[in-house]
Amino acid sequence: MRSLLRVELTRLRWRRAILLLLVAVVAVPVVFGVAVALETVPPTASDRATAARQAEQEAEQPYVEDELANCQDSPQDYGVGDASDLEAACEEMIVPRPEWYLATQELDLVQQRDDTGLAVAAFISVLLLLAGATFAGHDWSSGSMSNQLLFETRRLRVWTAKALAVVLVSGLLSLVVLSGYWVALWSLARSRDLPSSNAILVDCLQDGARGALVAALAAFGGYALTMLFRSTVATVGVLLAVAVAGGALIAVLGIDAKYQPQTNLSAVVLDDATYNVEVPDECFMQAEPPEGLDCDEEKVLPARDGSIYLGSLVVLAGAASVLSFRRRDVP
Amino acid sequence: MSDLVIETSGLRKEFRSRRGGLRVAVHDLDLAVPRGGVHGFLGPNGSGKTTTIRMLLGLARASKGRMEVFGHPIPSALPQVIDRIGAVVESPKFSPHFSGRQNLLLLARAIGVPRSRVDEAVETVGLTGRDKDRFKSYSLGMKQRLAIAATLLKDPDLLILDEPTNGLDPAGIREIRDTIRDLGERGVTVLLSSHILAEVQQVCTSATIIGNGRLLASGNVDELLRTGPSAVRVEVDDPAAARSALGGAGFAVVPPTAGETAILVESDAPSEVTRVLGEAGIWLSALTPIRRDLESVFLELTEADTLGHGPDAGPDAGPEARA
Repeated sequence: MRSLLRVELTRLRWRRAILLLLVAVVAVPVVFGVAVALETVPPTASDRATAARQAEQEAEQPYVEDELANCQDSPQDYGVGDASDLEAACEEMIVPRPEWYLATQELDLVQQRDDTGLAVAAFISVLLLLAGATFAGHDWSSGSMSNQLLFETRRLRVWTAKALAVVLVSGLLSLVVLSGYWVALWSLARSRDLPSSNAILVDCLQDGARGALVAALAAFGGYALTMLFRSTVATVGVLLAVAVAGGALIAVLGIDAKYQPQTNLSAVVLDDATYNVEVPDECFMQAEPPEGLDCDEEKVLPARDGSIYLGSLVVLAGAASVLSFRRRDVP
Repeated sequence: MSDLVIETSGLRKEFRSRRGGLRVAVHDLDLAVPRGGVHGFLGPNGSGKTTTIRMLLGLARASKGRMEVFGHPIPSALPQVIDRIGAVVESPKFSPHFSGRQNLLLLARAIGVPRSRVDEAVETVGLTGRDKDRFKSYSLGMKQRLAIAATLLKDPDLLILDEPTNGLDPAGIREIRDTIRDLGERGVTVLLSSHILAEVQQVCTSATIIGNGRLLASGNVDELLRTGPSAVRVEVDDPAAARSALGGAGFAVVPPTAGETAILVESDAPSEVTRVLGEAGIWLSALTPIRRDLESVFLELTEADTLGHGPDAGPDAGPEARA
């Protein structure tokens, strides 16, 4: 098995298309990191003074007073209904602040986890899915699969060696790349004397590790589906169709948004994800929701549920792929 | 130890079309390939040769029947014998973006063969100097050579070659033919599937002919050549008189073409022909036995099979009886 794995790792390394995709996997977080660094360049003293002046001028506008009064009359409309200090909550919500008038925003690692962290993990997952699909697709399109099976006839071993190669390379690379991304941002925040505790770094690295897991599973999924369909194009086509038609179907049928793949992806990468649900009309007919009726429009999907969802899809694809590869004739 | 390297019994392969139809590619085939020597595997396009080979190599599943290679059941025991089998199935299939050497190295590493064996195989098939070029830049002949080099990585006891001389120039064909003959003489059993019947006749010691997935004939090449009617070419001054005399004695005679003085007489006894002609006072200028070749045997068998009255039409006609 070891020699087969080494062969598959070599085969993977020698494929230019896959190398290009792996280079892109490294490039994506670099591009995101540079963009974040540029967007969060600390403002100069002059920028801060200008912003403070603009905020002060805006705060003197009559509409601000009106809005503050409205907020205190109808706090629910402003989303501060639960605040203990209503006046302070309304002021924070409505009175213009200097940071609103700054062209750049402060680097906030917690915010980046939800924004670029998720985006980078998603991009890397898509690229590695394509790498897995390309790796398997090449064996089928060139016809070299039959030649390989003339040297190792145990198909399960061949399938497993290829899958291991895909998962190992994609998992390790994405782990290194995502960890590097977070360490770089954390170091940047630290160099700018912004909040950058070790605890934040640990949270970010955990996001990175979960992102790497998702990326490795995506690569495995791409590989498994291509071994099933025996064509990279078919795999990409089916995934596109599922992504578009599946999402639309879930929306049209009114199925809970927690079944959307992207919601589950977010839940796994970010440790949990919020999603919106439709609540009964009765929730809006009275000031207080009727007793026993769940009127909470925002729900939380825990990472565990997301993992079960994505894991089930991967297990299904893997099982179908193995069965097909073991039983079907090889051209 | 069995004298047969490959043995199939009632081997059948059915393909189901997407419309639900059923096509039988291999029809209860009994194949027996003796140990040592070169065994030809002949049949028209679509007769089931490649499908049979693919089943023997585990690339396709048999719908029914039994297969054995080196006495081991196939496909269950294929992993135990695959290291002794080298095979080229249809066109050579390698990764087009890798060089010939890279392709061989990957296969060699998969079975733990040292790098030096790759060098030897490349040299044996005459690819030295081009082995580092990409496979997709190779001519068809070079691809064939690389495929044969791949089979040599294992130092096989059984070589299965499906149209190995496709795309080769005459010199290349001769080299491959010599290689095949040499391997056969060294004790390697070679199963050679080919359309070039003259090639097969030159190198094969035995052969199997199939048509429409059915066995038509099998045996030593000499035995196969002795099947069916033999003929002699008779040259005389008066072909019409000779035809009349021989026809009268019960011989089937093919009349001469315009301007020719020779007639063809179906007979495996030239002495009888000379006796009849002598008794009729017709003196021979020349008498040449017409040697049947594998091509004529092949065409007779496959054409008869195509017309639906092949030798296996009878339910009791066993394969050995057909040879």
